[in-house]
Amino acid sequence: MEKTEFISTIMPFKDKLYRLAKRILVSKDEAEDAVQEVFFKLWNGKQQIGNYKNPEAFAITMTKNYCLDRLKSKQASNLKIVHSNFQTSENIEENFEANDGVALVFKIMETLPEQQRIVLQLRDVEQFEFSEIAEMLESNETAVRVTLSRARKTVREAMIKNYNYGIG
Amino acid sequence: MELVKIKQLLDAYFEGTTSLAEEKLLRDYFSKDEVDTDLLQYQPIFKGLKAAKAERSERTFNFGEPKAKTIKTYWYSVAAMLIVAIGVGAFYFTQPQYTQEEKEALAAFEESKKAMLLLSENLNRGAEQLNLVEQFQNTKDKIFE
Repeated sequence: MEKTEFISTIMPFKDKLYRLAKRILVSKDEAEDAVQEVFFKLWNGKQQIGNYKNPEAFAITMTKNYCLDRLKSKQASNLKIVHSNFQTSENIEENFEANDGVALVFKIMETLPEQQRIVLQLRDVEQFEFSEIAEMLESNETAVRVTLSRARKTVREAMIKNYNYGIG
Repeated sequence: MELVKIKQLLDAYFEGTTSLAEEKLLRDYFSKDEVDTDLLQYQPIFKGLKAAKAERSERTFNFGEPKAKTIKTYWYSVAAMLIVAIGVGAFYFTQPQYTQEEKEALAAFEESKKAMLLLSENLNRGAEQLNLVEQFQNTKDKIFE
């Protein structure tokens, strides 16, 4: 596969990979590093990616696995960085400081377990079909639906709690 | 869009049974300004999820082999080869070097040493027998005093 062909295959979903990485790793810089690393991996295995009927799903699976590995090794070495402490430039959350509700949704999403975060990201943000998500996560549609339902309900409960608190 | 339908969709949404098209209806409904007060609490969720899709990175990503990495691994192998070479060399040069002639001379030396040892051993055995002669002398001295 030629470089231009490779880039034209990968480029359309580069932002999706970045958003997924950021959803898992939270930090913008780490998410960018992760995407870069995934691109290297994809390039090194470029003969393979042509064989996959769905390069996008392949790349998303790779990104997900890489980010989860990063998380694990970070926790293992006790190098947990609290990213809420420092300001990263052009973070989308900042645009919503005026609108507390939306900022809160981002906050709540950060507290979800990784699997729920990933499913919520792929379904409600990127709008993939259940069958596609199941393929990406090497799971089945029922499991994806259950995880998604849990994630949505957790977000709802946290929002309602906050909403009532805001009124009362 | 009537309120009842939206509420039904919302329930299904939280059960994870809505289709992508139905979820789009919900997003469209909540992105409008006139949202029913009962449902106002859900608005940030759908606004937030919609906003999350707009996020992108400004960084330009590279493709192909990371250069710094290859240089590093290349030097690692060179360093490893050097260490092995120095180790083998040091071992080789600290060993004494003999020419063929010297080796033959050494072998001959070892052989002659062995022969000398054998000889001295036999000599010692002969010398032990001399003790008997001495004892004989003592006894003889006692008798012929």
